[in-house]
Amino acid sequence: MTVRNRGALAALAAGVAALTVATLVACGSQPAEDVGADEAAQLATATPSAAGTEGPSVPVTTGELPAGAETVKPVRLAIPAIDVKATINAVGINKRTNEFEVPPSVDEIGWYRYGPGLEADAGSIVIAGHVDSAQQGKGAFFRLRELDQGDTLTATGSDGKAREYRVVAREEYDKTKIPLDRYFARDGKPRLTLITCGGPFDAKARKYRDNIVVTAVPA
Amino acid sequence: MQLSYFRRVAAGGAVAALAFAGVGAFTATPAYAATSKVSVVHGIPDTPVDVYVNGEKTLDNFKPGDVAGPLNLEEGDYDIALTKPGEPIGSAILKVDNAAVPGGANISIAAHLDAAGQPKITPFVNDVSKVDAGKARLIVRHTAAAPAVDVRAGGTPVFEDLTNPNEAKGDVDAGNVKADVVLAGTDTVAIGPADLNLKEGTATIVYAIGSAEGKTLDVVAQTITGLHSSPGGVPSGDGGQAGTGVNTWWYALTGAGVLLLLGGGVRMATARTGRK
Repeated sequence: MTVRNRGALAALAAGVAALTVATLVACGSQPAEDVGADEAAQLATATPSAAGTEGPSVPVTTGELPAGAETVKPVRLAIPAIDVKATINAVGINKRTNEFEVPPSVDEIGWYRYGPGLEADAGSIVIAGHVDSAQQGKGAFFRLRELDQGDTLTATGSDGKAREYRVVAREEYDKTKIPLDRYFARDGKPRLTLITCGGPFDAKARKYRDNIVVTAVPA
Repeated sequence: MQLSYFRRVAAGGAVAALAFAGVGAFTATPAYAATSKVSVVHGIPDTPVDVYVNGEKTLDNFKPGDVAGPLNLEEGDYDIALTKPGEPIGSAILKVDNAAVPGGANISIAAHLDAAGQPKITPFVNDVSKVDAGKARLIVRHTAAAPAVDVRAGGTPVFEDLTNPNEAKGDVDAGNVKADVVLAGTDTVAIGPADLNLKEGTATIVYAIGSAEGKTLDVVAQTITGLHSSPGGVPSGDGGQAGTGVNTWWYALTGAGVLLLLGGGVRMATARTGRK
C-alpha cells in the first residue's frame, strides 16, 4: 500500500466518523413527538347545543346594561412533574405587536384575561410563560415540553380553590402554522392550555421557531 | 328550540304552515347559509305587547325594555304585528308587512318611538364582524322621541349628533367605561351616566328609548358574543437554551465529513489509475 493510498484511507475514515457523529447529534436533538393531538382537537369542537330541537319559546332577556361577569382568575399553578410553582398574572394583548402579553419576569406566567376563567364550563383557559430569556435564564415553562399524558397540575383560583387538571396532549407547532383560534376558543369542552416556546432557536433573530402547547382537562 | 316552537304553532293554521314550511326544512340542515338571526327589541314605554310574525303569536306579553331572540329565520319577507296583550291581530297597534329579512345576516328589529313620539318598527343590521383581540364593539342606536344627542364616554363625546333612527359604532378597548347621553353639542345630560362593561370579543348594542317629553328616556342593551379574535402570537422565549434541532457547527461537521469522503475517494481512484 502506498503512502498516497494510506492518506486517502485516513481521509475516508475521518469523513465517515464526522458524518456518524453528525447523524447521532441530529437524531438526539429531535424534539419529542407530539402526543394527544387528536384528543386536543376533539376538545375544541363546539358542543352541539342540546337545545336545538327542544324548548317551548323564544328566549327573552331584560335589556339591562351588561355588568362585569364574575370570573375566577387563576393565581397559582403547580406542576409537580416538572417542578413548576409559579404565580399567574392576568394579562392581555401587547398593543404594539397584537401578541399575547407574556409577563416579562420569566418566573411568572400569564393568564389570558379575555378568555374563560377557572369557573368556565366551556372554552380554553390559556396560560403562557417563558421557556427562557437571554437576560434572566431559564423560565417557569423551561421544562414544559417534558410533560406527558397523565401528568397532573393544580391551578388555584382567586377564590382560593385548587382545581386539578390532567394532561391529555403535548404538541409542537411552527409559530406560523399554530391553530391559535382553537387554543383561544371560548367554546368546546372546558380545558387548560399551556403555551411556551420551543423548537430550533434562531440566534440572530433571538426567536424560537415553534410553540409548545400542552392541553389539560379537569381531572 | 325556536324552530320547534314555530312548527308547533304552525300546526294551528294552513297559512302559517305554508309560511314556515321552509323553516321546517331548515331544521334538517342546521348549517343552511341563508338563515338570519333575528332579535326583537322593545323600546316603547309603558306598552307591553304580543308580537305576531306572519300571523302567528311569537312573543306573549313582551315588555318594554326586553330583548327577545335570536330567532333563526330563513331569508324572506315577514309580516310583523304588535297588539296589546291578549287582543286579536286585527286590532294591531303597530304592523309592518313584507319586512325583508336578508339571508345570512344578524338583525335587530326595534319597536320604538320616532323623533316625534309615534310608535314605529325599525330593522337594524348588526355588525358581527370579528373585533381585534383585546377589543369590544360599542353600537349606540337612537330610538327615542328625543332630539339629536352626543354619546360620551368618561365625559368625552365619542359619537356626536346622533339622530333617530340611526346608529353610531366603534371598536374600543374592552373594559369598563362610564357613559352618558347629552343633547347634541351641550352638557345637558339626557340619559345616564351608567357604567358599561364592554366584554372583550362582544358587541354591546345600546338603544336609547322612550320619550324626552314624557320623561321616560332609558336604555335597552343587547349583547352579541363570539366576535373575538386570537392574539397574533405567543412570544415566550429569547434565550435559546431550550433550542432543539441542529446548530451551525453541525453543518460544518457534516460538510467536513463529506469533503473528506470525496477527497479520500478521489485520491484512491487516481492512485489506482496511476498504477496501471
